[in-house]
Amino acid sequence: MGNMKIKAKVKGDTLKCKVQAKHIMLPYDAAKKKGVDANFITHIIGKIGDRVVYEASTSQFLSKNPIFKFEAKAEGVKKGDKLEMTWTDLSGKTVTEAKKVKGL
Amino acid sequence: MMERRKFLGLGLAAVALVPASLSAVDFRKEKPDAFTAHNVADSIKALYGDIKPEANENLTVKAPDIASNGGAIPVTIKSSLDLKSLAIFQDANPESAVAVFTIPAGAIVNYMTKIKMKGSGEITIIAEGKDGKFYKASKKLEVALGGCEG
Repeated sequence: MGNMKIKAKVKGDTLKCKVQAKHIMLPYDAAKKKGVDANFITHIIGKIGDRVVYEASTSQFLSKNPIFKFEAKAEGVKKGDKLEMTWTDLSGKTVTEAKKVKGL
Repeated sequence: MMERRKFLGLGLAAVALVPASLSAVDFRKEKPDAFTAHNVADSIKALYGDIKPEANENLTVKAPDIASNGGAIPVTIKSSLDLKSLAIFQDANPESAVAVFTIPAGAIVNYMTKIKMKGSGEITIIAEGKDGKFYKASKKLEVALGGCEG
């Protein structure tokens, strides 16, 4: 735990989500200078149950500890549902965390 | 008959992959060239092919005119178009592609993420509509302090 901050809230008929992943997001250039391997999040996906609400293939140029803010239609989101975020980085590490959707 | 068999095979393959990737499209695996291209035009070509995107008032990108810190530039993309995918490019860093979003059904395109830029440049958004058309939006900005040093 503690690898991600997740906030998900339903307001009216909109589901509003904000996710911050804790990640160094080290690009190739900077990694070369430091003499270490580059590492950054390459793929992030957000799901509520089986429904995918957010998906992105990302590169080295997202900021350190990148923030992802997104919206989706709240239709079908029930009380007690969780927003589950999963990211994968270049080293192959995968982190999944979930948080209950608020506002229902 | 043949097609049905193929279809079943595909289904099985997909089931075998779950839950590693549910309906996931990893553009890094599918279009690796798009992420290593050194300029925006090449990158767009690698991702979507030879396209002629049009500007559309229903696709907008918002970023500060002058970013004091190039290490975290908030970029907001809004669109009311029916989109399939969306990509962010910029021309300040050694490689152009920043992120490619797959727009799932029921998503509202009001996305914000923070990106890094080494210097002043232009952010280009390319959106792929479900109607097969491509749209674009761009935003020029100045970066006071480059942010590619991690």
